[in-house]
Amino acid sequence: MTPVGVSTVPSTRPAAQGRSIQAYAARFFAPRLLHPGAWWAWAIGCAVVAARTTNLAILALVITVICYTVVSRRTQAPWALAFRLYVYLAILIVVLRVFFRMMFAPYGPTVILELPTLTGPGFLSAISLFGPVSAEALLGAVASALQLAAMVLAIGAANALANPKRLLAAVPGALYEWGTVVVIALSIFPQLAESLVRVGRARQLRAEAGRRRVHLIRNVAMPVLSDGLDRSLVLAGAMDSRGYGRSASMGNSGRWLTSVLLVTSSLALCVGAYGLLDTGFTPIWMGAPMIILGLMVGLVGLRLSGRRVMRTRYRPDSMKAPEWMVLATAAAACGGIIVLGMTTPEVAFPPIPPLTWPPISLFSLVVVVVLLLPALLAPKNRDGKGQNS
Amino acid sequence: MKPAWRADAPVPLEWKSVLMLVILSVAGLGMFAWPLIIPVSAESGLGDNSPLIFIALLPLLIFLVLAQISEKGMDTKALAILGVLSAINAVLRPLGAGTNGIELVFFLLILAGRVFGAGFGFVLGCTSLFASALLTAGVGPWMPFQMLASAWIGMGAGLLPHRLFGREIRGKAEIAMLIVYGIVAGYFFGIIMNLWFWPYLMGPAMGTGADLAYIPGGSFIENLKRFGIFTLITSTAVWDTGRAIINTILLALVGAPILAAFRRTLRKAAFNPEVEFVSDSR
Repeated sequence: MTPVGVSTVPSTRPAAQGRSIQAYAARFFAPRLLHPGAWWAWAIGCAVVAARTTNLAILALVITVICYTVVSRRTQAPWALAFRLYVYLAILIVVLRVFFRMMFAPYGPTVILELPTLTGPGFLSAISLFGPVSAEALLGAVASALQLAAMVLAIGAANALANPKRLLAAVPGALYEWGTVVVIALSIFPQLAESLVRVGRARQLRAEAGRRRVHLIRNVAMPVLSDGLDRSLVLAGAMDSRGYGRSASMGNSGRWLTSVLLVTSSLALCVGAYGLLDTGFTPIWMGAPMIILGLMVGLVGLRLSGRRVMRTRYRPDSMKAPEWMVLATAAAACGGIIVLGMTTPEVAFPPIPPLTWPPISLFSLVVVVVLLLPALLAPKNRDGKGQNS
Repeated sequence: MKPAWRADAPVPLEWKSVLMLVILSVAGLGMFAWPLIIPVSAESGLGDNSPLIFIALLPLLIFLVLAQISEKGMDTKALAILGVLSAINAVLRPLGAGTNGIELVFFLLILAGRVFGAGFGFVLGCTSLFASALLTAGVGPWMPFQMLASAWIGMGAGLLPHRLFGREIRGKAEIAMLIVYGIVAGYFFGIIMNLWFWPYLMGPAMGTGADLAYIPGGSFIENLKRFGIFTLITSTAVWDTGRAIINTILLALVGAPILAAFRRTLRKAAFNPEVEFVSDSR
């Protein structure tokens, strides 16, 4: 909680402290950064919705919602501006998918483009490339590509809206190191493009660019890889000097207990899963009770193992009403799309062979509108200031 | 270069971690191959959906193993290198995703497992598939299974022999060995992922000419035969062969320089060095 005597620190709270509805609304909408977990949950919700439908109209709406939310709620931080990269990647995915679909068996009833069929020689004659391209095959490719593109954009949105470095603080202690690895990977991903540009510039300075034969591997790929490896050692040095990745010693007995708990838990989970499936020969206690036992022992083990990571939190993120609202929209949209897939599969997964407009139901629109709510109701990000903590 | 159980490996594996890995591998194999070995009946605990429990259990088991591996604390250099290689794999993966079969992830995974050891290979398989799923490929029920399959491939590359008849395997012989391993790994990944979605894709056989679907509670041999035909027709001939060819070409072309770059990094990093105190008295 806020310590006593914070008068020297500029308060981030709004002036309204009362109990009236206006005061509550002022607190709710006061510009601040939301908990990163809330935005990630929302993004995963968008990705789940995209994964559970092949309806082009719904997918297009979800993509629109994602882009609108990013534009209206992102910060000025560098990772927020990297959303552009995700958009490029999404476009590339759509182009590649459609191209590969044209290459491999693009047959269907409605031919819109006649390409020559290439058949492999000799024993490869079973493989044929290109041929008459049908609208159905292309639409199917676009639908699956838009699913992927929407997922990419959703993750890009999470990166733009939430501070990726704050995520480090949210990973449970037992998986702290592996959470660090994933966060490093996610934040280095855009840097690789920058590394490629630097290697290109270095080649130009060495007057290599005009050469006829460019050895892609020796002149481009290997420098980027070596650059990445060297940078990783520099990063490790920086992390070491700031105390990342160091853990407190737990003593031998504590470590033994943790290991025994982890091993017991995984054994119990395995036995439980087998018992649940194979009811013919196994006693009843080998099923669900074993799974519950394994879960409980595992949680205690993870908890104990996390104790070795000693971290203090500077200005910890808290979950308040706006965060819960964002979480609720994500959960509602996930539930909604699953219900949509079960009740009206012809809307969620319209069959492609009849070449018609994708059907839209009122319920599917509700799912999309729920995903739009955070863009309208979540507090705005503070502009420019305090984004780097 | 260094066995994974040595304390100066990038990701050292203690015997407790090895025990957890064995449990995970046996359980994981069962979760991939349940249609063949577990006689699931309609009366079982959760009805027809019971295998879905694996989708929830496998990530948890992987978390438990990872928690045990990092239980002693990790070298930050290993974390940073893992992060960078996961990011590179995440870039490479969508370049090949369009054709499903030609995944560029494996050759880097194999080379990294070879140089940095089995523990590193296992973790890199998990983290690169997880990071690339977050970044590009999409998170789905298949993700934990892909993570485990590629973790096995990375770990296996770390377990390949370093000496044969007293001679070190280096140079062309090493690349040849890795290429053979890459071909095996390419087919292994295709077949085991097929085995995973086979029952979901085909559904249980209803006795109406569906010769490729599995028979719940059927004999091991009968189901294996059906799965063999299914995987041969749907993917082994084209996709898995494509993956094996791509692995071969990449390993032959860039295997040696990348191995050299990794070995240089390994030397520069000097993982968990043993500190020796020498008295200064003469």
